Amino acid sequence: MRMAAWFYLVLAFGFIYLPVGTLVLYSFQDGTLPVPPFNGPSLQWYTEVLADDDVTDALFNSLIVAIGSSAVAVLLGFLAAYGLARHVLPGSAFMRGLLIAPLTVSYLIVGLGLLIVLNRTGVGLSLVTAGIGHVVINLPLAFAIIYASMGAQHENAERAARDLGASETKVVLLVTAPMLAPAIAAAFFLSVTLSWDEFIIAFLLTRFDITLPVEIWSMLRSGLSPRLNAIGSVVFLISVTAVLVLEFTMLRRRQS
Amino acid sequence: MTKRTVALLGGTAMWLVGAAANAQELNALVWCDHTDDALIKPFEEEFGVTVNVREYEGTGAALALLEQSRPGDWDVLVIDGIDVFRAVESGLLAPLPDDQLPTADFFPEIVMAENNTLDGVTYAVTEKFGYNTISYNSEKVDPADMQDLSTVWSDKYAERISIYDYYLPVMGLAAIAEGVATADIDAKSLDTIGPVLSQMRSSAASVAGVVAAQTALATGEVDIVVGGGEWLTAVLAEEQPELTWTIPDQGAVRWTQSIGVLADSEQPDLALEFVKYIVSPEGQARLATSACFWGMPANSAAGEILNDDQKSVLRWDDQTDYLARTQLYPAPDADLDVEMQDLWLDTLSQ
Amino acid sequence: MSAGTGTKLGWGFVAPALLWTLAFFIVPFLVMGAMSFATLEGRSLVWGFYLDNYIELATRAYLWRAILVSLEITLTVTVVSVVLAYPLAAIIAFRVPPQWQRLALLLAILPFWTSYVVRSYAWLLVLAREGLINQTLINIGLIAEPITLANTRFATVTGFVHFFVMLLTLTIYANLVQLSPNYRRAATDLGANAFQTFRHVILPLTLPGIATGAFLTFVLCIGDYVTPQVLGGNNELTMPQVIMVQLGRRADFPLASALAIVMMAIVMLAYLASARWLRLDRV
Repeated sequence: MRMAAWFYLVLAFGFIYLPVGTLVLYSFQDGTLPVPPFNGPSLQWYTEVLADDDVTDALFNSLIVAIGSSAVAVLLGFLAAYGLARHVLPGSAFMRGLLIAPLTVSYLIVGLGLLIVLNRTGVGLSLVTAGIGHVVINLPLAFAIIYASMGAQHENAERAARDLGASETKVVLLVTAPMLAPAIAAAFFLSVTLSWDEFIIAFLLTRFDITLPVEIWSMLRSGLSPRLNAIGSVVFLISVTAVLVLEFTMLRRRQS
Repeated sequence: MTKRTVALLGGTAMWLVGAAANAQELNALVWCDHTDDALIKPFEEEFGVTVNVREYEGTGAALALLEQSRPGDWDVLVIDGIDVFRAVESGLLAPLPDDQLPTADFFPEIVMAENNTLDGVTYAVTEKFGYNTISYNSEKVDPADMQDLSTVWSDKYAERISIYDYYLPVMGLAAIAEGVATADIDAKSLDTIGPVLSQMRSSAASVAGVVAAQTALATGEVDIVVGGGEWLTAVLAEEQPELTWTIPDQGAVRWTQSIGVLADSEQPDLALEFVKYIVSPEGQARLATSACFWGMPANSAAGEILNDDQKSVLRWDDQTDYLARTQLYPAPDADLDVEMQDLWLDTLSQ
Repeated sequence: MSAGTGTKLGWGFVAPALLWTLAFFIVPFLVMGAMSFATLEGRSLVWGFYLDNYIELATRAYLWRAILVSLEITLTVTVVSVVLAYPLAAIIAFRVPPQWQRLALLLAILPFWTSYVVRSYAWLLVLAREGLINQTLINIGLIAEPITLANTRFATVTGFVHFFVMLLTLTIYANLVQLSPNYRRAATDLGANAFQTFRHVILPLTLPGIATGAFLTFVLCIGDYVTPQVLGGNNELTMPQVIMVQLGRRADFPLASALAIVMMAIVMLAYLASARWLRLDRV
């Protein structure tokens, strides 16, 4: 049983890393085509990609939009989840439905609808408008994840805190939020990840400052090249670094 | 720091800020071949302006974007040659002064006044062209077979072809195979084109976009791409010279792209200068060899600037023959377009 | 519910999210809904109450096929992804030592961060005739000739499952670690074996989490354009592909809106069905 579990873990990680491995391998392709056979290692595509200002700008833009929109989405989602789980509000089922509703519509439609409305109101397109669109798609997720994890077991702790004289703000900040930290973190990670990779809304709602998926999309128009693999690998490297840094700083903080 | 230095620095800073604010910006809605620094920089330096480029996909998407924009948002538009009339009918394009465009030097078939002009007024000018034809792996298929369209998608090559994912050129090729001129395609000729498409579809392993088609060719997934051409195969041929293209005996489809100034532009003079730069021999040579995709320049005077290697990749010397044997993209009106698209989607989903 | 927490306070918590959703989603969506009843006369949009788009929807065979294909793919992907992700999340939550759990989880979702579009192309290479899978199968003697994997429904489903296994592992794990170990301990004390504990204790308690993840998978999958477009080789068309064709060339917003509303209705049905079946009143 234990062996089977580890075997499954290895298999699952193998599956998850299969395309990534291929992607990274061919980013080192010594040649102009990222297809078999592998001709041996070369760093030429990395040099080219890192020297490309458009790519580095887009990477930075993506990061800002992902983190900013996720923070807003998780904050709004958490507050709404708390309000609906802990307070008796008329029509709360309807409000839950309303908050979840954007999930049922494809990103394409969210983007197009926003595009039309933003233009009618004279708001110019920018990274901010793309961020607004990303909050729209991530808010329901953040809400659903946090709301689903707001079990009754937490309510007792909140009541205890309230009985001890804690204000509502203190209860939310010092009792509810820490208890829900796993769900909040999951919601934030999910939001960042989805926003980071989101193409169609970012494509419709940005103008000259674009996010990485939009930049990659335009590179795809120019045909097959290991440059794409190099960008994918650079992005992967950055995320691995970010995660490891987070992991070690968090561990250290916990130990101390 | 003395007061004077501070004042000087402040003055310089203000001058810089002022300069930045005054620097003109030109906003262009373009295809990916207009984004190279090699193309844009010389213009920016000559006129001391900044050119912002934004790429798009699909004429419908671009027209929708322009219709949603505010005046001054966009100055220049690059558009499919056969779609210029759609932009003109929507009142999006401004007239261009004929006498300032070097159309006399153009390949005559490529001036395309019937597409770029309405009621004697010119609204756009052709800048680049190429072919949607047959790309193939010369080691895996018999090159002689590639000269006959119906053999290409016959059962002989079943599961070994990929179809380029755009209905207009592919349906154009189907029409040409049946002896129907692309300009004559009407609702009735769709009855002829339909069975050809079905045959093509049943032989095809996939219907693919640019990179998917290139991947399929390069990995040996398929050996033929219907609707391909120089723009598809050139990037692969460097390493796999067996990947090449031809224009079959029946002919093939010709694509073109045009450039124009938007009616809502707030700097029409600068926009016109940009258009003139793009169709000048220098601009044309740079556009023809852009990193995104290569294609023939509309202005034949670019031939004096392109070197021999570039010209041989572009097959410069074959152009007279190719131009004579190819036909322009089908240019359906709105109703026929709907019918063609429905037929295409119907065939695809079978 | 404690008496001290007033309705007004509750509204205060919900209001920001509600307002955001109203302004940036409901309003645009209503515009979109109105547009599905508009019609195109030549290039210009005519608002009104026309049923043209819905009539076209009902009479075009490929639109029906697209709906069917989308549903089949989406259901397959959802079921396969949950079945594959649940054990992974459970192993990370219960077998991996606690200090390594977060790292294991992060490792499981890291590939998310390689661009989604690029990753789809990477699958195309893995599944190609000369790709890793075919070469491996040939080397171990399972097959003699390469088999066609790329540009098939199998490829589309694989690409999707890869994406959603990562996503579901995250959501299911978040749910599993919130279970108090006491539940498991109690079940074991009462003589339940591992399977019984899972079947009667863990699974029911994690159903809301699974349902959230599965529903999310359903929605993202049915609305995605890139994966079927890149991996499916257009051998069958899904709804988003059909919508993109309407938009890209023709800018037929009314028909695209009508299609989108049908797609949304399907998702709504899926939501209602799963909510009832799983007896969920949350999510």
